[in-house]
Amino acid sequence: MTTLALTGFLALSSGLLAIGIFGILTRRNFILILIAIEIGMNAAILNFVYFAAFSGATAGLNGQSIAVVLIGFAATEVAVGLAIVLALNRLKGTINVAQATDLRN
Amino acid sequence: MSLEELAFLILAVVALATGTAALLVRELVHTILWIAVFFVDLSAIYFLLEAPFLGVLQLGVYAGAVTVLLLFGIMVTRKRIFSREAATGIGPVPLALAMVTFLFLISAVGEFSQSEQPIRSYDPSYLSANLFGPNGPWLLLLGLIMLASVSGAIYLVREGREP
Repeated sequence: MTTLALTGFLALSSGLLAIGIFGILTRRNFILILIAIEIGMNAAILNFVYFAAFSGATAGLNGQSIAVVLIGFAATEVAVGLAIVLALNRLKGTINVAQATDLRN
Repeated sequence: MSLEELAFLILAVVALATGTAALLVRELVHTILWIAVFFVDLSAIYFLLEAPFLGVLQLGVYAGAVTVLLLFGIMVTRKRIFSREAATGIGPVPLALAMVTFLFLISAVGEFSQSEQPIRSYDPSYLSANLFGPNGPWLLLLGLIMLASVSGAIYLVREGREP
């Protein structure tokens, strides 16, 4: 039977969430921002899977089920994000979010 | 150090390195390659945690579908696919915010047990029974949100729409 400590996994997902936040705040390209959001979302999904692996049977199965649902949500989010990318590209000719300022005035 | 610990250490380092590389390289196609490695690496972590169903789902949905979708997004929005992004400076504020988030989360890690624990594995048939039984409403909600968002996405990109 595999044995591992939970703390290493928690440190990994903390690091991934920090990388995601860093990417969202620094990048200007919409696709890169989407990728950064995906990295942060994956950190959250990983947490569900760790706690599922280290907890009791019912809680563990619920955790894995929620992870399945979250993977679906993340895929949906990418689809909508790419539709926004295409609309932005058609409207502005660029996908730089610094130039998408139409709603400011 | 056991074999599992060594495997986890390697996978964790690869995940952090590829995640960072994906956001820092200047060619967008290279970003997609790094992020594909990142997703495959996470799926390997799921297999290590004895969650094979989630590992396969991660490979199919993320490493397969999401990567290709992002690649299509790059293809249709750029004149030359292998063109470089303009360099954007990394200000101190985002770096500080990311560091604060990391330190805040890592400070809570000490609350948990440091000792090694056995990993519980689940039969995928139990998982599907749980997914369609007690967690059925979540799955239904996911389906409804997917339907609504795909309709919204089609509305956003359809031809002849007034901007």
